[in-house]
Amino acid sequence: MPKYLEMTADKFTFRVATDRLYTAQGVWILPEPDGKRVRVGLADYLQQHNGDVAFANIKPVGTKLAAGDQFAEIETIKAMVDLHAPVGGTIVEVNGALDTAPEAINQSPYETGWLALIEPAAWDADRSKLLGPAAYFPVMQAQVQEELKNL
Amino acid sequence: MTALHDKADIAVLGGGPGGYVAALVAAERGAKVVLIEKERVGGTCLNVGCIPTKVLTSATELLVRAKRAGDFGLAIPQATVDLPALMAYKRKTVEQLVGGVEQLLKARRVMLIHGEARLVKPDRITIEDGKGSGEEVAAQRIILAPGSVTATPPIAGSSLPGVITSTGALDIETVPARLVVVGGGVIGLEFACIYEALGSKVTVLEMTPAILPGATDEVIAKRLHLLLRRRGMEVQTGTVVQRIEQAGEALRVFGRSASAESAMDCDRVLIATGRWPHTQGMGFAELGLRMNGRAIAVDERLATNLPNVWAVGDAIGGWMLAHKAMVDGRVAAENGTGGQRQVDYRSVPNVIFTRPEVASVGLTEAEARGSGAEVKVTQFPFSANPRARILGETDGLVRLVCEAGRGRILGVHMLGPHVTDLIAEGALAVQMGATADDLAWTTHAHPTLPEAMLEAALGFREAALHIQTR
Repeated sequence: MPKYLEMTADKFTFRVATDRLYTAQGVWILPEPDGKRVRVGLADYLQQHNGDVAFANIKPVGTKLAAGDQFAEIETIKAMVDLHAPVGGTIVEVNGALDTAPEAINQSPYETGWLALIEPAAWDADRSKLLGPAAYFPVMQAQVQEELKNL
Repeated sequence: MTALHDKADIAVLGGGPGGYVAALVAAERGAKVVLIEKERVGGTCLNVGCIPTKVLTSATELLVRAKRAGDFGLAIPQATVDLPALMAYKRKTVEQLVGGVEQLLKARRVMLIHGEARLVKPDRITIEDGKGSGEEVAAQRIILAPGSVTATPPIAGSSLPGVITSTGALDIETVPARLVVVGGGVIGLEFACIYEALGSKVTVLEMTPAILPGATDEVIAKRLHLLLRRRGMEVQTGTVVQRIEQAGEALRVFGRSASAESAMDCDRVLIATGRWPHTQGMGFAELGLRMNGRAIAVDERLATNLPNVWAVGDAIGGWMLAHKAMVDGRVAAENGTGGQRQVDYRSVPNVIFTRPEVASVGLTEAEARGSGAEVKVTQFPFSANPRARILGETDGLVRLVCEAGRGRILGVHMLGPHVTDLIAEGALAVQMGATADDLAWTTHAHPTLPEAMLEAALGFREAALHIQTR
């Protein structure tokens, strides 16, 4: 599998990293090598769709979440976006670099722009509800098409 | 003791915002009033507090904007500070306002006596003029308004040259290259922003886990902290200053946090750790005046335990704010002239002249939730407000803390341009028990900053108009 699945629409290119899982909202989940934690962030389309991030307000370390709970809020120049937890569990680390450099979410959504590390409470059960890259790609395509219609 | 004046109806001890307002109101209500002040009238606020600091915050804000003139299509080639002229402007402004209060007192025939006052009986005050002589004033009723003094925490080295308090920080002869501010509360952060604008590299050390403890909503404090860090100010929370030492030409500030000990060199240290009620040395303890810690204990009508003695302002503790003291002064004056008014602090706003400004009134989100109320918070960023965009001041937000369901506004918290003015609408809303719907259906002029209040209120039921929420 290539490193990214890509689609181009208008003058924009949207990439889907193939090494991780997704929610339909466009939050990605990457299991850490330690097998205990997952890293989460914004997929490329979700960040481009909402514009330059001014603030990433992530719930603090220690916050307990059920899958679907709001775990972060992104303020961009055009929108306030509630992000929903892809898995239940506890936030064990947040990306402090976003405090002073939130643009990492736009510049490097799959790498340095990560949001938080979560210790899942029921990873196996939650994992089955997440989308693989091949399943998320058409969901994203449909979201892009919908947006193009509104232009 | 020389003269014994004819018995006054009311004697007011202290001529700050609490005391002079009490004197003016009591005189207006027909009382024969004596006001005793040891320095100039206007107290801390006019002489060494609100007014001179706001001269400096206003001037430095203008300086910062002048340096950004290019953003607005203007060319201001040399925007710099002229310190002697700035100090002269500050003195002139204070002088005008103090003179104004003196004129008002005169116009209402309040007798102003200068000297150190001492309460010798519940109806008698002696006044030392500092030259060994003095006089005695007898009054039917007495209002105590002695104010507050700069808090002096026991930090070794705080008397070294170059270690200053807020009063010293107002008289700026030179701008230190590196300033350490001890205390991340209101006073510390206002001065941090003033000196930062003048060119100092500023580090703020705050003992508690967050800046502005107890002064505003937690989200607002956190956002200000972030904005200050983003423009290069160092703000360390959870850090207790241990001692200050001379280190060659520099001052070295030793701090300790949960994780580490630190030592920081700088050229000046500002100790801004708050204020204490000024209640010592005026005979209060000898007369058995009931205290509440350092503060004078009062009931809801501001009466003390001594007959016909009321107390107001910073000396009774709580919010140490000039406008709260003025409310106290009005209440005590009314009660000292036959009234029966209770104090009502629900709508006392707190305003902080940082860059950007902070303003709060009513309950914070945490306080509202702690009270057991079901709460809904709605907010709106200034980045989506056209007037803020035009001003080039888009950092900040308006937060409304509302009762869920009916939407009664419990608290309003703001960070951003001119919010110290905008909070007046929030104070009215809290005082009147207004709901988010009341605000949302009050037409706000366009394009103005208060539209951010309207938009936040719209978000209570549906969605703000001018931002997308997803």
